[in-house]
Amino acid sequence: MNTPPNIANQLLKFFCKPELLEDIQGDLEEEFAIRAEKGKVINARWWYYHQVFQLIRPRLIKKIEIVSNLTKETIMYKNYLKIAIRNLMKYKSGALINIIGLSTGVCAFLLIALFVKDELSYDKNHEYAENVYRLTIKNYDQNGDVSRQWAFASAGHAKRLKADYPEITHAVRFYCWAFPDLKIGEKLFPSEQVVFADNDVFDVFTFPFLLGNSEQAFREIKSLVLTESTAIKLFGNDWRDQDILGKTVKLSIGGREAPFQVSGVIEDMPEQQHFHFDYLAPIQFVEQLFGESTVNNVTGNYNWLTYLRLQPGTDPSVIEDAKDEFFDKYVGEFGNGLAAKDFYAFELQPLLDIHLQSNLEGEFESNGSLRQIYIFGTIGILLLIVACINYMNLATSHFSRRMKEIGVRKVLGARRSSLIKQFLTESIIINLVAFPIACILAVLALPYLNDFMGKTLTFNFLKNTELFTGLILLLLFVAILSGSYPAILMARTKLLQALKGESAINSSKWNFRNWLVTFQYAVTIGLIFTLGVIQSQMQYIRTSDPGFRKDQILQLSLSRRIDNLDVFKNEILKHPDIKMATYASRIPTGRLLDNMGASFFKNDSAIQTNFRLPYILIDEDFISTFEIPLIAGKNFTSAIDMEKDSVGYYLVNRSAAEALGYNNPQEIIGQRLSYGPYNGSNNMRVGRIMGVIEDFHFESLHSKISPMVMLKGEWDMESLCMQIDPSNIPEILNHIEETWVNFDPVNSPDYRFLDEMFAEQYEAEQRLGTMISVFTFIAILIGSLGLIGMVGFIIDTRYKEIGIRKVLGATLGDIVTIIGTRFLILIGIAFSVAIPVAYLLISDWLNGFVYHIHVNAWLILLPAIGAMALTILAISYQTIKASLINPVECLQDE
Amino acid sequence: MKDFQLGEFEEIVLLTVAILTNDAYGVSIKKEIEDRLNRNVSVGALQSALRRMEDKGYLQSSFGEATAMRGGKRKRYFNITNLGKQALAYTHDTRNQLWEAIPDFVLKVV
Repeated sequence: MNTPPNIANQLLKFFCKPELLEDIQGDLEEEFAIRAEKGKVINARWWYYHQVFQLIRPRLIKKIEIVSNLTKETIMYKNYLKIAIRNLMKYKSGALINIIGLSTGVCAFLLIALFVKDELSYDKNHEYAENVYRLTIKNYDQNGDVSRQWAFASAGHAKRLKADYPEITHAVRFYCWAFPDLKIGEKLFPSEQVVFADNDVFDVFTFPFLLGNSEQAFREIKSLVLTESTAIKLFGNDWRDQDILGKTVKLSIGGREAPFQVSGVIEDMPEQQHFHFDYLAPIQFVEQLFGESTVNNVTGNYNWLTYLRLQPGTDPSVIEDAKDEFFDKYVGEFGNGLAAKDFYAFELQPLLDIHLQSNLEGEFESNGSLRQIYIFGTIGILLLIVACINYMNLATSHFSRRMKEIGVRKVLGARRSSLIKQFLTESIIINLVAFPIACILAVLALPYLNDFMGKTLTFNFLKNTELFTGLILLLLFVAILSGSYPAILMARTKLLQALKGESAINSSKWNFRNWLVTFQYAVTIGLIFTLGVIQSQMQYIRTSDPGFRKDQILQLSLSRRIDNLDVFKNEILKHPDIKMATYASRIPTGRLLDNMGASFFKNDSAIQTNFRLPYILIDEDFISTFEIPLIAGKNFTSAIDMEKDSVGYYLVNRSAAEALGYNNPQEIIGQRLSYGPYNGSNNMRVGRIMGVIEDFHFESLHSKISPMVMLKGEWDMESLCMQIDPSNIPEILNHIEETWVNFDPVNSPDYRFLDEMFAEQYEAEQRLGTMISVFTFIAILIGSLGLIGMVGFIIDTRYKEIGIRKVLGATLGDIVTIIGTRFLILIGIAFSVAIPVAYLLISDWLNGFVYHIHVNAWLILLPAIGAMALTILAISYQTIKASLINPVECLQDE
Repeated sequence: MKDFQLGEFEEIVLLTVAILTNDAYGVSIKKEIEDRLNRNVSVGALQSALRRMEDKGYLQSSFGEATAMRGGKRKRYFNITNLGKQALAYTHDTRNQLWEAIPDFVLKVV
């Protein structure tokens, strides 16, 4: 075949400039034909290939498309950039509004994102975190309802479960024992938090060692592992140079001492961990101290924080389901013939869920809340969207100004895609300005947030490259989200309309823009509503009467060195401004966690109570110090002492009387009750109810007032509460400190005011309220900026209409009404969507309180009225300006 | 005076176009050079030189007839322009000047 190779021709066609192709290929084929005639065809073909390859020269090949397009594009981008900057400079106020809106929105989002990310990162530092579970214990009452769920387990659980179930590879208990004093030589460090742990601790949790290692750490029973900061505390900043391994630290408690050897130093436990310990020591030490019966106990005495590491892939419910078997094996039946398994259950909490999802009795540290994360997360995203919408509104409201520009661009051949690119460029530029401002705002606001939330969040790009990339992605996302609608809208404009300067969107038509504004309204209304509900609930808490005196009460925590309570109290009372004082095992604003079994006598037959009846220990001055009314019977006298007396006497609250079947408190006086083995002994001493006091909110308003019984006894007093005259508080405190030193020279007194403790119960809610008000403020700010833009736009497009109306005799009020009505409709729609949604969310929050307000008409109407007031404010200026124009001015403009 | 830059190969191509006068197109130019100078010329090198000189304005081109041998594709004929002629003359002159400046004995082959 005497034809040139096709592949070579295809190749030539591919790279050769089209205008050169014909003659070059012709030349090649001609010479090929000659060569093929003269010599071998195969040689001619080779030659042909060879020549084609040699034709790949810069002058002859096509320009590469991409390269040529890129240069064109850059030129256009330069132009877009120039126009965008000119526009920004020309409409400075508009640009400023836009930038303020975007930067506050982004700043709020950034802060929330930092917070949420931090909250979500708890306990992730542990290598086996995914297989570690905390063993929590559920208690059931006789009706089979859960009465309490404890974060801690009994001493015997961990060991027995580990021995019986091979799924558990490691188990560790933490026991925080009595805060011993530490002694190094002559130096004394009082009341340090030494935590005793099982040897498995380093296999369950990852604690990186700075000195020593995990194998050696617990080899001896009397070893002590320090954290970095406690090493500094005990040995000074240069502890690394001192060879502290093996040094002796004496643990001292109640006059007894035990020498411990430092066996390692671990890194400080990270902030994002749901517990923090300063010292770790082997648990065998306390086991030896407590003896078999305590160590093997599997019911009650929930003081042992227990974690289990399961084999990878094990379903934790396997262990939970084993509870019947477990309690049958180790407890069987109680003395009264009831099966123990009906009263207890295990629940295994995944380690990673504890911080956000667990809020049990006796949590080691106060945890975060998933609900809060959801609320903040939602608000953060909403604020970001609102800021984007704001940009869209403002950008489209400058629309009419840009119409002619777009028209001219279209005439000159701008495609839709290039117009879209142009407006996206503009939104990226605005964002490039807004983002650094947002970051600066965030950096400025962060210390307040940290302070407020008790966090140590940082905003450091160098340390956190993730943050940086995240920020860039966010910038692109915001720029595209906020720029897309204006871009598409403007690019869609018809050429003729554009050249005439007509708006492509008819302002009187229902369009996407209106939905955007409605959304903004909905967010604002929802936030105002939420804020209103939270604030009125907080107001309700502040003003509602808790049933006891919370002002001018000073609480002093007792130390175990104070042994003669009567003398101590008398000394304290010597100061004239300290009016009354009472000892108590627990005080109002705390929790009622001590509970024993009770039997009530009706007609000589004892009936075990079927409700939870917790107790507190008090003395005879309790009800007068806290000013709780006695509604029936008599108060304790100083002579009564339950430890020594043969008969017990009890005070109960009204709820307890009612729960025992006496709606008239007078009638219960003198009835017989036997309560608990209250003194460690098992004699259920029968006593009489001698008085009934009015119900009061011992626990916070989150929980229902529970029946309670008050005993008189001294064995477990935690604090001394004083009613004081606040005219000279420093002097009172001085007196207390001087008295204290005489009784306990080692520890320093720890006192607090009850109203502070009262407020602390609602700290989380208070925080939430403050955060929501800041966010609401931001939303309102952004929203009103958007409104101003929107109104300006409407007036722009209805300029002539306003003129004509004025010519025909419309008054200023008429015009305000015409423009305002549209917004009323928007508010109406936003209102009817936002309120139900917000109501659903907030009623969940409200139900967290047993005692709460009810959402009334005011709370519902307030946000709508607020939104309207805001709108009227925002539109009045623009509208009045528009309606004050001489109609001639707007009508002659053509 | 304008600077007429001509590379060695460009000069050869330009001279060959002049030799062939009205019959100068890719194949004939190539053949002429190969025949006269006894050297191989690749189509790529030739085309590239031709187009370069067309851009410089030394050559102009027009489509001619198509033949069956060429697969029905037209020839492109090249003609030397006035500028091209000046360039050749300039090159020729400068060479001559240089030749003349050489003393006779230097080039005498001994």
